Amino acid sequence: MLISSVKVGEHFYLTLGVFKLHAQVFIVSFFVIFILIVFSLLGTNKMSQTPRGLQNFLEYILEFIQDITKSQIGEHYYRDWVPFIGTLFLFIFVSNWSGALIPWKIIILPEGELSAPTNDINTTAALALLTSLAYFYAGISKRGIRYFSRYIKPTPILLPINILEDFTKPLSLSFRLFGNILADELVVSVLTLLVPLIVPLPVMMLGLFASSIQALIFATLAAAYIGEAIEEH
Amino acid sequence: MLYINSSTLLAEGGLFDFDATLPFVALEFLLLIIVLNLIYYQPITQVIDSREDYIRENLNKASIYLDEANELTKNYELELIAARKEAIRMVTTSQNEAQEFVNTQIYQAQKEAQELIHSSMIQFEQEKNKAIYSLEKQVEQISEQIKNKLISTYIKK
Repeated sequence: MLISSVKVGEHFYLTLGVFKLHAQVFIVSFFVIFILIVFSLLGTNKMSQTPRGLQNFLEYILEFIQDITKSQIGEHYYRDWVPFIGTLFLFIFVSNWSGALIPWKIIILPEGELSAPTNDINTTAALALLTSLAYFYAGISKRGIRYFSRYIKPTPILLPINILEDFTKPLSLSFRLFGNILADELVVSVLTLLVPLIVPLPVMMLGLFASSIQALIFATLAAAYIGEAIEEH
Repeated sequence: MLYINSSTLLAEGGLFDFDATLPFVALEFLLLIIVLNLIYYQPITQVIDSREDYIRENLNKASIYLDEANELTKNYELELIAARKEAIRMVTTSQNEAQEFVNTQIYQAQKEAQELIHSSMIQFEQEKNKAIYSLEKQVEQISEQIKNKLISTYIKK
């Protein structure tokens, strides 16, 4: 029953000096980064005016990301934010799909198990906090101290709610992604535990779809927050 | 089996165990942004931009060529119209000239024929007069002879 057992919240701890790390997150995220870098290198290896093969694929993805960024941030400033939004999308997307498609259970860890890096609250919180930093940076670099005037708009009465928003944004971002991926993996695991064959397949397909949507949502929301911070009132 | 240790959710081994993983993942992610920017976004963006420039340039060139072609067509059409007018004019003048030539030729031929007829009529008249004259003479001679003969026979009797 090893293949279908479910472990929630168990981590493979790695101690690095005074730091305690969840090693399973780093193993899989390094794998994800490796895949992204290999695809990028292969696709940009022999570039030509008329794209073909992997280059075409990479261009398609980049134009997709540029479309998201452009629609949220606007024609003028979107180019600076494409790397951030694009990396968010690609990292989350490949993480989710690698968690769903690769049978990590085959590799046995002394504690915990390998799964998508987005299955760990630390990863999603890190991404969400970076998004918060990004939109603060975007707003302040664009509008200076006037950026903080948005807290008393449209009226100063909304000041507490506006301040609260800066906390709810990263919170909702991180928990949405974490909850979706964890729930999906749990549902698949529990179903596999009950009926090992065929029955979990539709749920797995749904999981693939949902996890790609989650990557899109995270990237779109991050772009929307940055666009909101840049926008002149 | 499903294990969720709810009493230690935030502690080590819990579901929401925040520790040094968070900043390290953040650092890892920032590095990934830099690396992907260097090996993916920048090169591909450059290719896409240069292709857009290339297409725009060619479109501009094509529209310039199209304008030139339209201009040339207009000029050629004007020239064609002028040439057609010229041709029509030339055809009519040459037709007129030919008509005139034919007319004069016919007139001359008629004149010549008339002259010929006239001269031959005159000649004919002269011949006729001559013939009549000579005939008169002969008639006179013969009548003289007849008279002489009649007289001689009469005398002999």
